[in-house]
Amino acid sequence: MTTREIRYLEAVREAMIQEMEQDETIFLIGEDIGAYGGAFQVTHGMMEKFGPERILDTPITEMGITGAAVGSAMLSMRPIAEIMFMDFVTLASEQLVNQAAKIRFMFGGNATVPMVLRTPAGSGVGGSAQHSQSLENWFVHIPGLKVVMPSTPYDAKGLLIASIRDDNPVVYVEHKLLYKMKGAVPEESYTIPLGSADVKREGRDLTIVATSIMVKRSLDAAEQLAAEGIEVEVIDPRTLKPLDTETIIQSVIKSGRLLIVHEAAKTGGFGSEICSVIAESEAFGYLDAPIVRLAGRDIPIPYNRNLEYHAVPQVEDIVEKACDLVKARI
Amino acid sequence: MATHVIMPKVDMDQETGTIVEWTRKNGDAVEKGEIIIIIETDKVAIDIESPATGILQGIRAEPAEIVPIGETIAYILEPGEQLPNEPESQDHDVSDSSQPAAVEPAINAIDVDATPVAHNIAKFHAMELSTIVGTGPQDRITKRDVQAALATKSSQVSEPERVYATPSAKRIARERGLNLNSIMGSGPGSRIQAADVLRVKESLVDVSPASSDGAKVVPLEGIRRTIAERMMVSYQSTPHITFTVKVDMSRFNEVRKQFNTKAEGSNQHKISATALLIKAVAWALKRHPYLNSSFQDDRIHLFSEINIGVAVALENGLIVPVVHNAIQKGIGEIATELNDLVIRARQGQLMPSDVSGGTFTISNLGPFGIEQFTAIINHPQAAILAVGVTQPEVVADSNEQIALRPIMRMTLSADHRVVDGAIVAFFINDLRHALEAPELLLW
Repeated sequence: MTTREIRYLEAVREAMIQEMEQDETIFLIGEDIGAYGGAFQVTHGMMEKFGPERILDTPITEMGITGAAVGSAMLSMRPIAEIMFMDFVTLASEQLVNQAAKIRFMFGGNATVPMVLRTPAGSGVGGSAQHSQSLENWFVHIPGLKVVMPSTPYDAKGLLIASIRDDNPVVYVEHKLLYKMKGAVPEESYTIPLGSADVKREGRDLTIVATSIMVKRSLDAAEQLAAEGIEVEVIDPRTLKPLDTETIIQSVIKSGRLLIVHEAAKTGGFGSEICSVIAESEAFGYLDAPIVRLAGRDIPIPYNRNLEYHAVPQVEDIVEKACDLVKARI
Repeated sequence: MATHVIMPKVDMDQETGTIVEWTRKNGDAVEKGEIIIIIETDKVAIDIESPATGILQGIRAEPAEIVPIGETIAYILEPGEQLPNEPESQDHDVSDSSQPAAVEPAINAIDVDATPVAHNIAKFHAMELSTIVGTGPQDRITKRDVQAALATKSSQVSEPERVYATPSAKRIARERGLNLNSIMGSGPGSRIQAADVLRVKESLVDVSPASSDGAKVVPLEGIRRTIAERMMVSYQSTPHITFTVKVDMSRFNEVRKQFNTKAEGSNQHKISATALLIKAVAWALKRHPYLNSSFQDDRIHLFSEINIGVAVALENGLIVPVVHNAIQKGIGEIATELNDLVIRARQGQLMPSDVSGGTFTISNLGPFGIEQFTAIINHPQAAILAVGVTQPEVVADSNEQIALRPIMRMTLSADHRVVDGAIVAFFINDLRHALEAPELLLW
């Protein structure tokens, strides 16, 4: 395999292009994805390559985008719908939650909905309260949907190809701040199975389970902690549903301490699910400290850049909590 | 039908019993009343009889295992019968035991006037309804009355102390058989961390047989643990004062000789020195009630009875059988009773009633040749008498002439919270006088 350094958004684009080249049923549908190339330039150049028949620009209608995707998926197409900001999945939710998630079950498998709904989540770009949310856990709660959250360019490509090839509706959550992140990505097509976590860094003193941008911040924190002699293991579930519980359980059994880091608001967030998985598992008997969640504050994301910064976990917050845990201060 | 053999309750405050030995094994035919097992409480070892005639089967508890009272430890089956298939920890009414079980209150006598829900709540909590005052119509006991009584009861019973430890620390302690109560926690709020438990493990390893000096580690079990705990409690909680006197035992020995000539002639037990000592001590205690007392809850309790315990050395510890009401018994009676107690103590046949209720203790190490020693008070009593050997010594007699006399040294340890030096001096001098002139015992 030939690898080279490309950006996260390029990895997402490359996954779509490579799949579209070998499967004519795949098409893109969304706002400003064609002529404009996408609000974050993810689909830049794809209109020229595949034409307006396969790169569909729509009016501002998230429900229409998603409904068209669901309907065409039922008719043997493999649509990739883009919601420009995750905040607007509110409008797409009827189609996603009540239709896409249910159809395969309600029709006894006679119809499937092989669609992907791509959307960027997260704060950090001054998007304020209505363009900064991380709403992934809403969909984790819906049986029939899969939820994917890549944190690196490599994972972004492999997971997106696996998502496109999956016969179930997949919510594929990108992060605005990760789009420009560079990483080694093979040129060839490859998949990462949905439901396999990745140990991003090995360590014995503390397990950090982090998602999306928080994987990067946790790795940065782990680097600082290593200088203090604290060896942190960083686990990225990569897909929140299906969830690879075994990798997390084994890591907690090894380290005895668990810190969960995500950007979404703490209350009712995905961290609660991880926490419960451990509490119910054999790893419980290995816990040597309380399980700690480090997550977004329970507030709308502020526009003010300083407030926005402090609304979600940052590297220094992770370092502090990790120290507290390892040094038995909590 | 299979008869359950259960861990019996042989003592009022007993919660568990330790299996010492099964004298019969699985498959043995046993008669009702035949001894099938020996168990040990923290006070005594006791033989347990078979509750039925049949085949002993399904032994569930091995020697050294600690079993809660009431739990089934085996079955007596009728010929051809199969073992019943039941959960392991099924409770049975303790009074099923063929052993002298403590009398349990009859629960919920039907003639008590109480509402159905009051009956049910009382039954669930094993409360005796007759002890509850009803406030309903015609003094009927209501749900509220039972709940109030329960609340009072639970506030009296001290909750067992919860251990604050991480799940990991608890798991390691459980796996390694360590007691978390004795481990200091280094975590927040003194929470016990896994590392704290592991440290204990390491320090234990240091003194294990594998260490270079080859020290053998003996676990603290049964009677040894009881002695260790009680001595520690007494020594730490009681301010001891000790007094030693020298006693001329000439007359004591003469009197004992006369008694024994008499006993021999009438085929009675010989009067041991300890028996006569008990008689004299009881006589002195009658005159000095503060030495026959107990300091409890910031009060001095003067005992109404004089029950004298005598320390008897055993292979694995010591036990203190009690001669009850010694003041009311003749010397022959005391001697017979003491003889029986000592024999049964050495055979491990003492009953809980034989070792309870003591108000004063005598420890006689004379037979071991010890001249003089001090004893630790048998908590919660107020005093203990340590008796040394009687041997000829050169002394000045009443005419200030050098004489050879049988001399015994005795040392009294007393609780200084209860008595001061002068009180103890009066007591021990009276006792000395009685031993030097036994006719005083008629006084």
